[in-house]
Amino acid sequence: MQRSTTRKFSTTPGTRDILPPESTRLLDVQAKILEQFRLHGFREVLTPALEYSEVIEEPKLRDVSFKLFDPDNQMLLLRPEMTSPIARLVAQRLGNAPTPHKLSYGLPVYRRAGVGRGQSAEFHQAGVEVVGSTSAGEDAATIALLIETLENVGLRAPPDLVLVLGQTAFYEGYLRKVAPEAAAGLLVALAAKDLVRVDEISAGVVDEAPGVREIPRLVGPATDASLLERAGQYAEGEAAAALENLREILAHLDAGGHLGSVMLDLGLIGRHNYYTGAVYEVYAAGLGFTVANGGRYDNLLRRFGEALPATGFAISLERLLSVLPHEEPAPLLVLVGGTVEATRLAAELRFSGVTVLHLAEDHAPEAAVGYARSVGASWVGYPAPVGLKLAPAEPGSEFEPTPTEKVAGRMLT
Amino acid sequence: MSGLRVAVPKGVIFEDALVALGGAGLPVDVLRENGRRLLYQAEETEFIVSRPSDVPVFVEHGAADVGVVGKDILEEQRPNVIELRDLGMGACRMILAAPRARAEEVQRVISHGEVVRVATKFPNTARRYFASLGGQAEIIELHGSVELAPLVGLSECIVDLTATGTTLHENDLVVLDEISRSTARLIANRGSYRLHHEEVAALLDAIHGSLHG
Repeated sequence: MQRSTTRKFSTTPGTRDILPPESTRLLDVQAKILEQFRLHGFREVLTPALEYSEVIEEPKLRDVSFKLFDPDNQMLLLRPEMTSPIARLVAQRLGNAPTPHKLSYGLPVYRRAGVGRGQSAEFHQAGVEVVGSTSAGEDAATIALLIETLENVGLRAPPDLVLVLGQTAFYEGYLRKVAPEAAAGLLVALAAKDLVRVDEISAGVVDEAPGVREIPRLVGPATDASLLERAGQYAEGEAAAALENLREILAHLDAGGHLGSVMLDLGLIGRHNYYTGAVYEVYAAGLGFTVANGGRYDNLLRRFGEALPATGFAISLERLLSVLPHEEPAPLLVLVGGTVEATRLAAELRFSGVTVLHLAEDHAPEAAVGYARSVGASWVGYPAPVGLKLAPAEPGSEFEPTPTEKVAGRMLT
Repeated sequence: MSGLRVAVPKGVIFEDALVALGGAGLPVDVLRENGRRLLYQAEETEFIVSRPSDVPVFVEHGAADVGVVGKDILEEQRPNVIELRDLGMGACRMILAAPRARAEEVQRVISHGEVVRVATKFPNTARRYFASLGGQAEIIELHGSVELAPLVGLSECIVDLTATGTTLHENDLVVLDEISRSTARLIANRGSYRLHHEEVAALLDAIHGSLHG
């Protein structure tokens, strides 16, 4: 007796097939972003999707990684992010090359999705890493590149997007100076964005150290100078250097005309432990999640044997796509006909700048229009004695004889 | 005053939430008019009304800018939101309870590290609690009337919330341990906290004033 079993032919939870036109938009946006990175001299790298488990140290990232075993029974992870793999790559492959290394990537990363939380297990990131420089100018340059890149693909700043900038070392440095015993608990609470817990802990130390409670609440436009003045009251110990670093980054951003897109949040300390300095997140109107995030991680490469400072960011492409204004693709012509003449005509049209999908078979106009609509083409054409017969891809539309050289112009109207 | 979308929890916490938000100057009266609607607009502010456990979901995804939710639910779900203020109301306790007749036995089983069956609406909280004790638990997730489970042999004990203890008492359950205390929190979406910072900060200041002034 034969029993039917459910076959697992769908994609696994959190993954999906991406079809046109979404796939086209995704790849177009990625190409535009990588081109922008290239214009700033960043060189693209590819790393394996599989990494040894030890490469990723961040506990949160390890927890959400897919794990598997290689033939030597070593634990592997599907990369949950790109920063650690690139740190590994730089330490292992580029140790002898002069710094800074300016590298970029556009690759998918993998995380076990929260079922029912609307999260993806596979998503695309495009980003840059600058390895080998501690300069605040490099932090500012990557931030400026991020803002320019997002503007270049269609976001308008502000009010469409805001880059929230913090400095991990400022609050940490202040705590180490004024309340070292409470520092660990406060940083855990703040990393969890639990300001209530920060208040509770700070109640015990706040008399001598008002900044414990106040620093996480210093939030406002970067153009508001009073914010940095208030922060200045707490610039003690290592916090002083951190604040100076932040001022320097802001001065560079101002020089580039980017200050208007930046919001300061001195309570932002970054989602990963590896961040050591400036950290930032980009939010877009209409999206509750970050579109991009990044920061400085000066200690991460030490693990891989090269003590190099670094800074960088990653853009989440699917999220970015969800807030981009819709752009009409270039009009596409379906040219129908199995004759040699049709083939010659397709080549001629392409030469004149028309995007042509040649169906090298004979189809009746109705079927051709139906096909054209299914592939997102807006025009249908047949070879004619002079040029071709052309019609919009709509049911019942009239074919008009059009000379070849006029086709491009007509399709644009 | 705000232009924000505010998520308000249904149920026992509803009225407390309205008092806190109303005290901060939000036009909450519209919420008292009609019990069936889910989406309300008053002046600039939009309100949505949802199950308490769904409030963090709306806020995390940015479908609501801010919301009111118990700390117990935040502990259970650990959503990626900003916890802004303890509203000091909606106080309740997360407890471990068992039928009076078997309370001692359950206590002994747990302390010996034997496996105990626990019914709860808060599986993550229960799991973490037993892990912290070094105990072992088989967790059975229910969506309501958790008190019923030990009475009919589905479980030996329960992990649940209690405000007054009345339901426990009526079902002859006794509290074996207090796991945590909880009050309602004002939470915000991470993006809204920045993109609408002025509005969120104004709400926060006003709520602060209403609680301490």
